[in-house]
Amino acid sequence: MAPDFTHALTLALLPEAMLVGTALVSVVIAVLRPGLRPDIHRWIACIGVLGSLAACGLVLLGLRNERSGVAITVWNGGLVVDSFALFIAILASVSALCTCLISDSAVRSIPTRSSAFYALILVSTAAAEAIAAEREMTTLFIALALLLVCLVALGALVKTNPRGAVSSFEHLIEGSVGIAAVLYGLALLYGTTRSTNLSTLAAASAGAPGAVALGVALTVLGLCGTLGVFPLRRWVGRVATNVPAGAAGFIIVTSLIAGAAALARVTVSGFGPGVGVWRWLVPIVAAVALGHASLSSLRETTVSRLIGQLVSTQAAMLLLGLLAFTTGSRGLPAYGVTALLGGLGVTAIATLAAFSVLAMLQVAGLGDSMDDVRGLAHRSAPAALLMTVSVGTLAGVPPLAGFLSRVLLISSAADAHYGWLAILAAGASLLTLLAAVRFVATLYADAGDAVPFTLGATPVISRIVASAACLAGVGLAVIIQPLLAVATAGAGTLR
Amino acid sequence: MSIILSTIVWSPLLFAVIAMFLPERNEEQRARVRTIALGGAGVSFFVTTFFAILGQIGLGQGGGLASAYEENHTWFSSFLFQAHYDLTADGITLPLLVVVTTVFGCAVFHSWKVHERVRLYVILVLLLETAVTGVLCSADFVLFAAFWGLLLLPMYLLIRVFGGDGARRAAAWFAAFHAVSLALIVVTVAIIVVEAGTQSSDMATDLQKWSITAETFGFWLSFVAFAIAMAVFPVHTWMLEAQAKASAGVATILSGTMLLLGAYGMMRISLVVFPVPAHYYSFAITGLAVVGAFWGCIGALRQDELRRFIAYMNVAQMSLVLLAIGAQTSVALVGAVLLLAGQGFGSAMLTLVSGAIEERTRTTSIRAMGGLVTQAPRLAGFWLVAAASLIGVPLLAGFTGDFMVFAGSFPEHRIATVLVMASVIVTTGGLLWVANRVFFGPARDQFARVRDVTLLDLTVLIPLVGAVVLFGVRAGAVVPVIANGVLEITTRISGG
Repeated sequence: MAPDFTHALTLALLPEAMLVGTALVSVVIAVLRPGLRPDIHRWIACIGVLGSLAACGLVLLGLRNERSGVAITVWNGGLVVDSFALFIAILASVSALCTCLISDSAVRSIPTRSSAFYALILVSTAAAEAIAAEREMTTLFIALALLLVCLVALGALVKTNPRGAVSSFEHLIEGSVGIAAVLYGLALLYGTTRSTNLSTLAAASAGAPGAVALGVALTVLGLCGTLGVFPLRRWVGRVATNVPAGAAGFIIVTSLIAGAAALARVTVSGFGPGVGVWRWLVPIVAAVALGHASLSSLRETTVSRLIGQLVSTQAAMLLLGLLAFTTGSRGLPAYGVTALLGGLGVTAIATLAAFSVLAMLQVAGLGDSMDDVRGLAHRSAPAALLMTVSVGTLAGVPPLAGFLSRVLLISSAADAHYGWLAILAAGASLLTLLAAVRFVATLYADAGDAVPFTLGATPVISRIVASAACLAGVGLAVIIQPLLAVATAGAGTLR
Repeated sequence: MSIILSTIVWSPLLFAVIAMFLPERNEEQRARVRTIALGGAGVSFFVTTFFAILGQIGLGQGGGLASAYEENHTWFSSFLFQAHYDLTADGITLPLLVVVTTVFGCAVFHSWKVHERVRLYVILVLLLETAVTGVLCSADFVLFAAFWGLLLLPMYLLIRVFGGDGARRAAAWFAAFHAVSLALIVVTVAIIVVEAGTQSSDMATDLQKWSITAETFGFWLSFVAFAIAMAVFPVHTWMLEAQAKASAGVATILSGTMLLLGAYGMMRISLVVFPVPAHYYSFAITGLAVVGAFWGCIGALRQDELRRFIAYMNVAQMSLVLLAIGAQTSVALVGAVLLLAGQGFGSAMLTLVSGAIEERTRTTSIRAMGGLVTQAPRLAGFWLVAAASLIGVPLLAGFTGDFMVFAGSFPEHRIATVLVMASVIVTTGGLLWVANRVFFGPARDQFARVRDVTLLDLTVLIPLVGAVVLFGVRAGAVVPVIANGVLEITTRISGG
C-alpha cells in the first residue's frame, strides 16, 4: 500500500481518530446539552468504540494480502500499523467497550461529568492504541504521558471517597516517576544513537555502552511502571482499592496493555538481540516482580487488592514472553511474543471479568474486605461462581485460560534458556494458586453473615458483560487457537 | 469417530452443570439433585464398563486398545509446540477407569448421607470425577497437566466444607502439597516440550533426543510430583490429615482414586518419558518403597484414630506399588496395576465402613470401640472382606496383584522385595488386630443401640464387594489387557 498521507489517515489513524472524534462529540454534546442523561453519553462512547473496532476490522481486511503483516508505515517508520498494533488496538477497544457497558454504577455518582468520564476512556484507549503503533521515541513518550494523565484523571473523576483522590494523586506521582525514567532513558539513547527511531537503536548503539546500558535500564524500568510490575507497581493496588471497580478495571487493564505493547516495541523491535543489557535486566525484574507480587497476594485482606496483586503477578509473567523472540533452544523460531500476546489477551479479559464482578458486588452494597464476601456462595451462588472463575483465571487455576497462558509463557522462557526463571515462574504460580484457593474457600467454606444480597439489584448489562468475560476465561482455555494464531501474526511483525 | 472416552470424562461435568441450576430448598429438591448427580456418575460408570468389554473384545481379536478408541483433535498449533485434545485408554487405564468410576458412583450414593449443601457436594464430586477420568485418559502432556490441576480446587473444598474438626488444616495441607505437585508437573511439561525438541506435547511422540541432564532433572521433578499424589514417604503427610479429617465420602474418593493417580502418573510419565534415569535410579525408588512400607505399617500400629490407621495402611500399600515401579519388570508392573485396582476398592470399602462405624459410635478412637460385631455383624463382615482384599487373600482383588508384584520385583531387587514382603505381614497383623479391637471382644453398653448396615450402606458397599471378588476371581481376564498397556513402558525402558 502506498504510504501517502491519505492512507495514513484512513488506515493508520482511523481507529484512533474514531475514538478521539467520538470523545470530542461527547464533550461538545455535554456542553450544548448539560442535562442530558448519562446513558446517552455511554451509548455514544459505545458507538465510538464499535467504530474503532470496525476500523481495525477494515485494516485487517486490507492486511489479508500483505505477507509482511504491515498495513502501512508512515513518518519515516515512526508509526507503523501492523498486525501487532491491530492486536493491541482490538484488545484495548474491547476493554473500553466492556468498561462503557458496565460503567453504570461508576457514572451514577457523577451524572454531570459522565461525558468527561467516557471521553477520558476513549482518549486513553486511543493513546494505548497509538503506543502499540509507535516506533519513534518522542511520540511514544507523548502517548505514554497522555495515557497516564487520562487514566489518573479518570480515577480522580469517579472517586467516591477521599482515598480515591489521594490514590489518583499517588498514581500520578508513581506514573510520573515511571515516564520520567522512560524520558531520561530515551534521551540517553538518543544522545548516543542520534536517532529517535526505535528500529535503528540496535544498529546505532555500538558506541558508548555505559550510556546505552543506563538508557536501556531506565527505559525498561520506567515501562515496567506502566505495565504494573515491580518496582513501580504500588499504584495497581491503590487504584484497585480506592477507585470504583468499573473504572479501576479499565485503568489497570489499559495501562497493562499499553505497558506490554510499549515494552515489546522498545525491547523486541527496538533493542533486539543487539543490545544485551535488557536481556539480563528483564529476567531480573521479572524474577523480583513475580516473587514480590505472588507473595503479597497470599496476605491480602481485601478482594480488590488481591485482584490487583494477581494482575501484577500475571503482568510480571508476561515479561517471560519478551525473552524468547529470536530462536529457541533447538534453533527453531521462538514463540515468546506469541505467548506474551496470548497471555496479555487472557489477562486483560480476566482482569475485566474480575473487576466487572466486583463492580456488581459494589452496586449490590457488598463491602470489599474478605469478611464481607465470606460465605458469599450461601447468599448468591452465581456471584460466587463468577468471582471464582474470574479470580481463578487471573491466578492461573487449571484448567482455565490463565493456566494455559502461564504454561505457554513458562515453556517459552525455558525455550529461551531461562530455565531458572521458568522454575521461579512455576513457583510464583503455585503461590497465586494458593491465594486463589484461600479466596475461594472464603466464598464457599466459611459461613458468612446474613446480609441479604442478590445480583438482581445490579444492571442487566453489567451481569451480561461480567458473565461473558468469565465465560471467555473458560472458553479461551478450550478454543485458544484463534487467539494464538492472531498473536503469532502480531508477533511476526514485531520481530 | 468414537466419543466413548469423551463421554466418560465429560458426562459428570455435564450433569454437574445441570445440578447447578436445580434448587435445594427442601428434601425433595435435594433428592432430585442427588439423582441428577447419580445420573452423571452412572453414565460414566456404565460407559466405562461397556468400554472395558469392548477393550476385551478388541484384545481378543488381536487389536490394541489405544488406537481403536483414541480421540485426537488439535488443541492449538500456533506455538512452540502443538497440543492436542488427545484422549486414549490402554490396558493400564482401562481397569483404573473401572475403579474410579465405581468409587465415584459410591461417593455419589453416599451423598444421601449429606444433608446440607448437597448441591455443592455433588457438583464438586462430579467435577472431581471429570478431573480424575481426564487424568487417566489424557494422552497429551498439557491436557494431562490441566486435568491434574483441576483436581485441586474441588478436593480442597470437599475436604474443607464437608470435613469435621481440623478439616481446615487438612484441606490446607492437601492444597499446599497438590499445588507443589502441579507446579512440578508444569515444569516437567515445559522441559519435555522444549528439551525433547519434538514440537509436540503428544505423549505418543518419540522423546529420545534430549540430554541426560535434562532427562534426569525431568525424571526427578515428575517423580516427586507423583510421589506427593501417591503419598510416598516422606511426602505423605497431607494424606494422613486429609484421610482423617475429611467426611467419609470424600475420604473414600481420596483413598480410592487420588492415590492411584500418583502411581498412574509415575508409570505413564516418569517411566515412559524418562526411561534412562528411571532405570538408573531404580535402587533409590525401591529404597523409598522399603522405608515407606515399614513407616506405613508401624505408623498404622501406633494409631488410635480409625481413619488415620487406614491412611497409614494406604502408605504401606502404595509402597508395594512403588516397589513394582522400582523393579520395572513387566510382571511387577502388571501386578502394580492390579494392586492399584485392589487397593482402590479395598481402601474405599474400609473408609466407608469406618465412616459408618464413626457415625454409629460417635467416636473415632479405636480404643473406645469394641464388641460391635454383636450389633453390627454385617458391618464387621464388610470390614473383614476389605481387609482380606488388602492383605492379599486368594480370590480377592489384592491377591494376584501382591503375588505378581513380589514375583516380578524379586529378580531385580531381592532384599528390598523380601523386606517389603515382611512389612506385609505386619500390615496383615495390623488390619486383623484393629478388626479384633473394633468388632470383637466384650460388647460395650454404650454401643447397645448401634444399628447394623442400612439399605444405603448396602447400596454403596455391595458394588465394591462385587468388584473386589470379580477382580480376584477373574484376574486372568484382566491381566492380558493390563499387560498390553504395560508393554509400552517395558519397551521404552528396554530402549525399544
